[in-house]
Amino acid sequence: MNTKGPLHGLRVLEMGQLIAIPSAMKMLSDMGAQVIRIESSHRLESYRNASLYENNTTGQFWNRGANFYEQNRNKLGLTLDLSQPEGLDILKELIAVSDIFAENFTPRVMHSFGITYEDLKKIKPDIIMVSSTGYGFDGPWANFGATGPATESASGMAIMTGYKNDMPIMPEIPYIDYTAAEHTVFAILSALIYKRRTGEGQFIDVSQTETATATVPEAILDYVVNGRIEPRHGNEDPVMAPHGCYPCKGTDKWITIAIQSDCEWSNLSTELKLSNEITCNPNFSDMLKRWEHREQLNQIISAHTSTRDNKELMHALQSVGVAAGIVMESPDLLFDAHLKERAFYEIVNHHPSTEMPPLPYASRPWKFSETPAVAPVAAPIMGQHNSFILKELLGKSDDDMKKLEKKAVIGYSPSQGSPIRAPDPNEQLRQGRMQRYESDFRSKISTFYGISDEPL
Amino acid sequence: MDIGHYIAGPYASKLMADMGAEVIKIEPPWGEAGRTMSPFANDDPNIENSLPHFYLNSNKLGITLNLKSSEGKKIFCELVAETDIVVENYSPDTLSNLGLHYDQLKLINPEIILVSISNFGQTGPYRNYKATEIIEYAMGGLMGIFGAYDKEPIKHALHQSQIKAGTNAANAALMAMYWKQANGQGQHIDISIQECIAYGLRDTTSNYTYTGGVRRRQPNHSGDLTRIRQVEDGFILPNPNVNTSRGLNWETVANFIGSTELLSEKFSTPTARLENAEELGEILDRSYGHQKKFETFYNAHELRFIYGIILTPEEILQNPQYLHRDFFVDVVHPTAGTIKFPGTPFKMSETPAQYLKVSPTLGEHTKDIICGRLNRTEDELSQMKATEII
Repeated sequence: MNTKGPLHGLRVLEMGQLIAIPSAMKMLSDMGAQVIRIESSHRLESYRNASLYENNTTGQFWNRGANFYEQNRNKLGLTLDLSQPEGLDILKELIAVSDIFAENFTPRVMHSFGITYEDLKKIKPDIIMVSSTGYGFDGPWANFGATGPATESASGMAIMTGYKNDMPIMPEIPYIDYTAAEHTVFAILSALIYKRRTGEGQFIDVSQTETATATVPEAILDYVVNGRIEPRHGNEDPVMAPHGCYPCKGTDKWITIAIQSDCEWSNLSTELKLSNEITCNPNFSDMLKRWEHREQLNQIISAHTSTRDNKELMHALQSVGVAAGIVMESPDLLFDAHLKERAFYEIVNHHPSTEMPPLPYASRPWKFSETPAVAPVAAPIMGQHNSFILKELLGKSDDDMKKLEKKAVIGYSPSQGSPIRAPDPNEQLRQGRMQRYESDFRSKISTFYGISDEPL
Repeated sequence: MDIGHYIAGPYASKLMADMGAEVIKIEPPWGEAGRTMSPFANDDPNIENSLPHFYLNSNKLGITLNLKSSEGKKIFCELVAETDIVVENYSPDTLSNLGLHYDQLKLINPEIILVSISNFGQTGPYRNYKATEIIEYAMGGLMGIFGAYDKEPIKHALHQSQIKAGTNAANAALMAMYWKQANGQGQHIDISIQECIAYGLRDTTSNYTYTGGVRRRQPNHSGDLTRIRQVEDGFILPNPNVNTSRGLNWETVANFIGSTELLSEKFSTPTARLENAEELGEILDRSYGHQKKFETFYNAHELRFIYGIILTPEEILQNPQYLHRDFFVDVVHPTAGTIKFPGTPFKMSETPAQYLKVSPTLGEHTKDIICGRLNRTEDELSQMKATEII
């Protein structure tokens, strides 16, 4: 078995922020590519100053951001001020020795730094450059900044999603950033395979909104062909009933159930001990009738699930062949026997200066039999690999390094930007931003994963 | 080779087909189950009319083959010998039960890459658990952070988890392909749909490992500046970048939103806005209520406020940005005629996607492949047809 990953030998230069490009490049770094991540120590990325470990805003807070660690595993970190000519020169030297250059700023920024694909091609003719923007690199909306919720809004997904007779709704994360990242990885690998055969690089222009529209063909084609726009209908399915999310015993505990056949309906009825009055009711005698009376059915199911423990009920239903799954909360995911056996969460050690213990992080949605992912290394603390990259890779001297540091072209701490303290736990609970806080989370994690709850 | 059904497997191989790979889709003689997916062209549910099936199989060649028959298996194995990648999305034991386990395929073609997509992965205590889209949303953790505080958790419309699994499967397949091209080694790839959802939750599990906080759905008020608001002609997603490095002052934001009530000290700082969120939400609802979505959206971007706009399918078809980029392509559907269809959502300067073929009709290329490539005679083909192997 090879332990360096299938992409070993590939070098990627990343000028990313937030998720769309960083997450895509993490897929590559997890699988063995050397990803050099450039960031500015003068313009602090917002993933470095929020969602901090233990909400601790003191000291080197910028090396304690959850989102930064989530998106930048297995990468090398270099700080670079591109507004100074020395910074831009170093960027170009790095481009000359890289296979891929990936960025997710607006085209305005790329034009102003003079680092569009046309510019890069002069430095490295076979470079693969990927730009990931909200709406695409050219066109009337090209320079419109966008967030994940904004691209979800314009894509067709938001208008389709929500409760009946209610507003559109979106999840509490920038979901489309991941959709965009996944399609970006696909485009890059396609370009790499083409480059291997022809020696040619190219420019990949990813529109994040388009990636989302590509995932809802049903909605687009129903309108194009049939002229129909479906109203929002919550968790209802066009065929299955019962189909939905039902309350269970406890606070905010839920189970999802999807019934696909008469046999499953019968097994569900038995497990929930539905009365003969219900099971023999002609309203529920076949799939179509159950669907027609789905609202009545949902009320009956909810009444019967609400006294049950959601996990116990899920296992009971699955054992008789009924599709059922609990709405997993974070501790359900982290402490789940199935995900543990599959080692889905992997333990990452943090740099000693962060004073953070080793922690489990979500890995990736695939397992390779011959070339697994590399052993995980935490995202770089600010400037962690300045010396390695500039001296080992570009041959700069100690003297050069001193000059760069003195001019603040490179740095090891942010020159501006302050940490955002999350509201006090009680306030978060009052506003319903968190469901609850568990005070024993540290010991639970260290016990379940057999790791230390102290910093290394 | 695409031996999958419904969405996840077909989407993975569609991505490759649209980029120029030759994808042979293998369906049972009665047609793949995805042909029953709604909506249908003209609402006529025949096997050539499923619109999602049509989209998910563009640029593929299609043959029928009964993999439960020994002759069907023999033909399949002959194709495996000349194939780089096989994509399947059946429950974990299905291929083994057919005698087509990865180890058996490897004997025919040592470099074969087999990509297996399943609900919960090929291993672990839930490997045989049943799932549909809503189960994956719940078990992947996305549903727990999705919905109104006073209602049940909700999922996205349509089939996001399946599409997501397809995209990740295609990515894994090409990574394995990249390795194989250099090292001549194939492999078996295990894709779990649950993990496709669970890997992309931003800091949801980290909120717990970092602070013990358990995330939930929307807060119990609508006082955030970036919540969807109803306007006169639809919905808008405000985002006045007020907390970003550009350091916009609150007065500018309040003026843009168009409410003097917002100038009160109750809303002048981020902390104050959090403390008075309920009242803020009511003012925002009132302020946006009489606006028009395109006007507000374009005005916002003049000021570099990164507002979003909720578009309907009708508006998406007319979106000037999509029109400029030729995102929709014209393809010919067997019964609906020439229609618009979402193209590849990225532009490649040297190797653009081309829609040379549409989804194959059932068995469209059976004869070409079995007689043309595998040298069966027309008599043998008729025999196979009579015995329902094709």
